[in-house]
Amino acid sequence: MAQVQKKPPNEPAHNNQKMNLSWIWSEYSVVIAFLIIFILASILNDRFLDIHNMTNILMQVSTIGIIALGMTVVMLSGGIDLSVGSVLAMLGVVSVLALNASGSILVAVLVALLVGAATGFINGVLVAKGRIASFIATLGMMAAARSIALYIADGGSESGEVEGFTNISNNAIGIIEYPIFIFLILTALIYILMQKTRFGRYVYALGSNEKAALLSGIRVDRIKIGVYTLCSLLVGVAAIIETSRLNSISSSSSGNLYELDAIAAVIIGGTRMTGGKGKIIGTFFGILLLGVLNNMMNLMNVSPYLQGLVKGLIIIIAVLFQKKE
Amino acid sequence: MHDETVLNMTGIKKSFNQVNVLHGVDFSLERGEIHALLGENGAGKSTLMNILGGVLQPDDGQIECHGHVMKMDGPHAAQQQGISFIHQELNVVPDLKVYENMFLGTEIRNKWGLIDVKEMCRQTQDVLSQLGVYIDPKAYVSSLETSYKQMIEIAKALLKQANIIIMDEPTSALTDQESDRLFELMRSLKKSGVSIIYISHKLKEITAVCDRYTVLRDGSLVGTGKIQDIDIDKITQLMVGKSVNTEAYDVDRTLGEPVLHVNNLTREREFRDISFSISKGEVVGFTGLAGDGRTELFECIFGYRKKQHGDIHVHGRKVTITHPQKALRSGIGFVPKNRKENAIIKDLNVIQNMSLSSLGHFENKGLINSKREKQKFSDYQQDLNIKVHDPSVMIDSLSGGNQQKVIIAKWLEVNSDVIIFDNPTQGIDVGAKNEIYQQIIAMADLGKAIIILSSEAPEILRFCNRLYVMFQGEITGHFPREAASEELIMEYATGSKKEAVKIGSSTEKTTQ
Repeated sequence: MAQVQKKPPNEPAHNNQKMNLSWIWSEYSVVIAFLIIFILASILNDRFLDIHNMTNILMQVSTIGIIALGMTVVMLSGGIDLSVGSVLAMLGVVSVLALNASGSILVAVLVALLVGAATGFINGVLVAKGRIASFIATLGMMAAARSIALYIADGGSESGEVEGFTNISNNAIGIIEYPIFIFLILTALIYILMQKTRFGRYVYALGSNEKAALLSGIRVDRIKIGVYTLCSLLVGVAAIIETSRLNSISSSSSGNLYELDAIAAVIIGGTRMTGGKGKIIGTFFGILLLGVLNNMMNLMNVSPYLQGLVKGLIIIIAVLFQKKE
Repeated sequence: MHDETVLNMTGIKKSFNQVNVLHGVDFSLERGEIHALLGENGAGKSTLMNILGGVLQPDDGQIECHGHVMKMDGPHAAQQQGISFIHQELNVVPDLKVYENMFLGTEIRNKWGLIDVKEMCRQTQDVLSQLGVYIDPKAYVSSLETSYKQMIEIAKALLKQANIIIMDEPTSALTDQESDRLFELMRSLKKSGVSIIYISHKLKEITAVCDRYTVLRDGSLVGTGKIQDIDIDKITQLMVGKSVNTEAYDVDRTLGEPVLHVNNLTREREFRDISFSISKGEVVGFTGLAGDGRTELFECIFGYRKKQHGDIHVHGRKVTITHPQKALRSGIGFVPKNRKENAIIKDLNVIQNMSLSSLGHFENKGLINSKREKQKFSDYQQDLNIKVHDPSVMIDSLSGGNQQKVIIAKWLEVNSDVIIFDNPTQGIDVGAKNEIYQQIIAMADLGKAIIILSSEAPEILRFCNRLYVMFQGEITGHFPREAASEELIMEYATGSKKEAVKIGSSTEKTTQ
C-alpha cells in the first residue's frame, strides 16, 4: 500500500524515457502488432500493397468491424454479446422480407435497424433488470434469433427482389465502396461517443466499478440497456451490408461465428475482458490486423483449414503480450 | 524472558523504479513482545514487512533470525522460519469451511491419499480452544463475524508453529469489542513466547497493547523504544515530523433552516423507526458498533436500498428516492465507506473521477469539454490541497487521503445541500485525516448539512455539533457535543442505555 505512491521530484531522465516507451507499448501494442504484420505481408507478397487489394481487405472487414464496434462498447461495460451473429442472420431475413413486401429499400433498412434495436433492448433488459449474466442472456438470444431466422426462411435463403438494393454494398465512390465509408464513419462516431460524451464516460465507469458508478448517481441500468441496444443496432447496419452484397441472406450460415471474430478483434485491440478499460481505436486496429492476416494467408495460398490455427495463435500471442503491462 | 532477540534486521534498503523506499532501516524484535511498527502511509512499513515475509527482496542489508543470517527468498522461506504474515485484507476463503481454510494448501491426507477430515477438524479445534474461541470447524467461514475470521488467520499461524506474527492493521474491520478480544489473545500469545509485530494507525490501541515501538518516516528509522516511555502526542510527532492538532474544532456557527428531515424510516431487519433532522451548516455524527445499521440507513436515504416505511423531506418537501440519482437530484450527496470498492473508479483518471457525478456541468452540445473539466479540477486541487503531479493519471495511483479529497471534490462539484460521509478517514494517515476534517468543516461553514458516520466516536466528537448513537438498527441516544463523553456513548452503543428521541426537540438542543 505504501511504496509506489510518492514520486520523487528528481526522477532520473532515462527512467522517464523508459516509462514513456512502456506507456506507448501498453497503449498502442495493437498498432505496433498491426504494423509488423502489415510490413511482413508487403514483403512476403508483392500483390499485397496493390490498392485494390487494400480496399478488398477493408471491404471484407467492414461487416465484422461494425459489429466489433458495438461489441467493444458492450465489453467495456463489463458484458459480452454472443448473439450478434445470429441476430445478423435474423435481421437480414426480416429486412429482405420487408424489402420484398414493401418494395422500398428505406423500409428494409428501417426494419433492420428497428428490429435490431429492439433485440438489443431485450438483451439489455435481461441483463440490467433481470440481473442475468450477459453471457447467459445473450446465449439465449443467440439460439432464439437463429431459430427465428431459420423458421422464417424455412431453413434456406431469402433473396431480395427489389432493384437497387445491392447498390448499398456494391456501389463505390471512386474505388472505395460504400460499406468501407460506413465502417469508417461509424468508427469515428463511436469513438466520439466513447471519449467525448456522458454515455461513454458512464460505460467506462460502470465497467470498472459498477457499485461506485451507482453510488455516483449514474442510472447504471439504463446505461446497460443502452449499450446492448447500440450493439444490436450496429448489427442491423452490418446485416443490411451483408444482405445487400449478394442480394441474399442465408438463415443457416450467415453470421456464423461472427461473435467470435468480433470478440477476437476487441481482445486483440486491448479491451479488458471484465470491462472498464479499452479503446475503440484498439478495436479498429484489431479488426484490420485480422483482415490483413486473412488476406496475407489467402495470397500465400495457405490452406483454409490451417487459417484458423494461425488466427488462434495470433489472438493468444497478442493477449500474452498485453499482459506484460 | 524479554532479553532474547529473535529477529534482527539491519541496514535494509529497498527501492522501486529508482525510488528509494527504505534507506537502511534497522529493526529488532525480542521474544515474547508486541512490537508496534508505526508510520504514515508511504513510510515504508509494508515494504519492510514484505521483505521480512519474503515477498520482496531487499537491495541491501541482512536479516538475522534466531541468531542465524537468513535469506528470505520467498514467502515459503519466511514461513519455515516461523514467520506468519496476517494481511490487512484477510486471506480466508469465505465459501470454504473453517477447517478447510486452516489447512488450505497443507491438507492432511490419510494413507489412501484422501483428505482426512477428522484429523483436520481435531487439530483445528485444538488450536482454536487454545486461543479460547469456540467455533465449529465445519462452519462456513462466510457465516462468521469478521473478528472470528481474524481468529482463523491467527490460528492458521499458530498451526504452522509461527513464533513471529506480523499483523497489518488487524483492527481496521473490527468493532471495539472484537478488538478487545483480539488484544486479549495477543497478550496470551505473548505469554507463550510468540513475538508479534503490530502495524496500526490507531495509536490508542498501541499504547494499550504494545511493549515497544519503532517509527518509520519516509523510509528511515526515526525512533524506537519502550511504549511506557512515550505518549501518543510524541509518537504522532515522530510519525508526521511535526506536531499535529488533536484539539476539538470550533463548532460555533449559526445554523440555518432544517434541510433534511427523516421520519420513521424503517427497513426490516436493518433499522427501525429512524427519525432525525439536520439543519444548514450543521455537522451531525452517527456512531455505534458494527452491525448497528447506520450504513444501511444512509444507503437507504441515498437510494441504494429501498425503504419500507417512513418518509424523507428535503427543504421541507417530501421526496421519493428510489435510486441514487434521485437522491443526488434532491440535493443529497454520499461519500461511501470502503473507498476502493464503493467510491473510486480506478480505470478513470483523477479529473474524470471528480466530474463523474456532474458531467452536465462540463457538457457543450452533448460533448464533454475536457478543458473545462481540467480547469475545474485545478481549482479543487488548490482548495483541497490534492497532491497529484499530473491529474490525468489513474486515481488509484494516489494515496488514500488524496483519493478521498478527489471524492470530496466530486460532491462539492455536485453542490449537494446534504453530504453524508461514511467512515471518511478509513485507511488515511494522521496528517491527511486532519485535512479531511478541515474540509468537512469548511463545507459546513459554507452552509452544507454534514452527516458523518463513524465507529470512532471520540474522533468525530471533535467537530460534530451533535451525535446520534445507534444500536441494532435503532437510535438509542442523542446528545449535543457538550453532553457527550466516550463512556456515555459506549453505554448507548452497547444498548445498556436507551433514550426516546423526540422529533423536533433535536434542533433545539444544539442551537444554544
